[in-house]
Amino acid sequence: MREIIGIQLQSSSFFEKLNLSEILEVFGDLYPRRLAPAELLRRVQLEDKSKAQFKSLSGGQQQRFSIAAAMVNDPLVLFLDEPTTGLDPQARRNMWGLIQGFQAEGRTILLTTHYMEEAEELCDRVAIMDRGRIVAMDRPQALVDNLLRKGFHKNYVAKLANLEDVFLDLTGHGLREG
Amino acid sequence: MRTKPTWTLTKASLKMWFRDRQAMFWTFFLPLVIMVIFGVLNFGALGRIDLGIVDLAENEASQGFVSILQAINAFDISRGNSEAAERLALEDGERDLVIIIPADFGPALTPVSLRVLYDAASSRETLVGQVILRQILDEMTFTFTGASRLFILDPEPVTSRNLRFIDFLVPGVVAMSIMQMGLFSVAFAFVQLKKQGILRRLLATPIRPTSFLFAQVFTRLVVSVLQTVILIAVAVLFFDVHLAGNPLAVLMLALIGGGVFISMGFAISGWAKTEEVAAPIANVIALPMMFLSGVFFPREAMPQALQAITDFLPLTYLAEAMRNVIIDGASLWSQWGNLAGLAVWLAFSFLVAVLLFRWE
Repeated sequence: MREIIGIQLQSSSFFEKLNLSEILEVFGDLYPRRLAPAELLRRVQLEDKSKAQFKSLSGGQQQRFSIAAAMVNDPLVLFLDEPTTGLDPQARRNMWGLIQGFQAEGRTILLTTHYMEEAEELCDRVAIMDRGRIVAMDRPQALVDNLLRKGFHKNYVAKLANLEDVFLDLTGHGLREG
Repeated sequence: MRTKPTWTLTKASLKMWFRDRQAMFWTFFLPLVIMVIFGVLNFGALGRIDLGIVDLAENEASQGFVSILQAINAFDISRGNSEAAERLALEDGERDLVIIIPADFGPALTPVSLRVLYDAASSRETLVGQVILRQILDEMTFTFTGASRLFILDPEPVTSRNLRFIDFLVPGVVAMSIMQMGLFSVAFAFVQLKKQGILRRLLATPIRPTSFLFAQVFTRLVVSVLQTVILIAVAVLFFDVHLAGNPLAVLMLALIGGGVFISMGFAISGWAKTEEVAAPIANVIALPMMFLSGVFFPREAMPQALQAITDFLPLTYLAEAMRNVIIDGASLWSQWGNLAGLAVWLAFSFLVAVLLFRWE
């Protein structure tokens, strides 16, 4: 079972004193089937950091590396635990792109998040948990339609843009890191 | 257990070890510094023997006797005027031995007795001093009486049993550095791995937890052997320490001793949740042993009761076995008593480690 899943844990750290490509090398050797470190780093846009240490990375880079480490065995099922928590809007958009890429390759991705727009953007199916119990599970749009059918309506009309769009418009869409 | 993951993890953790400057410092540099300091200063070497002479004869024979004594390098000679004054000096610890040459000293028909007062506390010096004095007096007897010798002692120098302090110290420092490495490196490394969630992350991979533990233990056993080799090599090359015993026996001891202290390290890391807790526990175990297990000075200098207790410390077993094998050339088998002591400690700390160990 563990050989076909990949897990990215929230706030997990990696061996100190080893650089990124060495860490991926070690993790890869723990699985019978593996992807090359260079390829993994390229997938998460960290190819120029292969000799860097995990601790020296920015928050977004650490999250992306964490995902590279979860992908090391080319898993069929990928578990991501709040992959965008604490990231700036650009890094978050970038992470969404990565996740959608893995999704397009036919992998099943199980993602937990507190950001509903993230769930709406990324997920085919959403389960809402409350006090450890699943209280609803469906496609995001079906869940929204369900709510509207109950007569819910927002007391302001959503504009075609929000503050995040303003931020991205002002600061650019590119990743903001060295 | 698939061997490849275990081997990979061992390789990786060795690599991490040698990149960790702090670990390198404690493991190799500090024991070397201790050895160099003590080796160069040669603390505690058999001191010169403070000999007081009270010459009541002041004749040709006594003058000759005193001049022979003065020529002997091992003696630091003071000439005293009276027995009372020299006795006082002895009581103040300024003399190891006082010899009183009686007024009738010289070739005579009846034996002349020379009284020797000695400091009961400094046993080694007074013993060696008395042996030398007896030897000289025997020589004089033979010369004066013209008797021929019936037995001749033919001394042959053997370098393995000289009394230099560095010879005493090196095996102790080797044992101590194995203890420090085992206790501290395991305790700290595992507490860190736990705290940073690295253990949790590894549990999400298909490796068996035991493979990971095995790799950690194996890495440290390799380091303890390396430590032993390097420290002994420096001692042999730079301090003329003679490795009398079988090198393989020494390495076996390094492995067994490593096993004991690595298990203790695991027991600490199993219990402690942060480095702030692990460090004092490791210190509470290590520090008393450093001073009570005969690493820096012989335990014979301790009060009897303390000796009896310290007999059972794991570092005592390791240091003594190391010393007997390295310096005296004892066989591993002859150290069965110390080995049995280590085995009991190994079993005990292994059990405690298993009971206390937690992955998170």
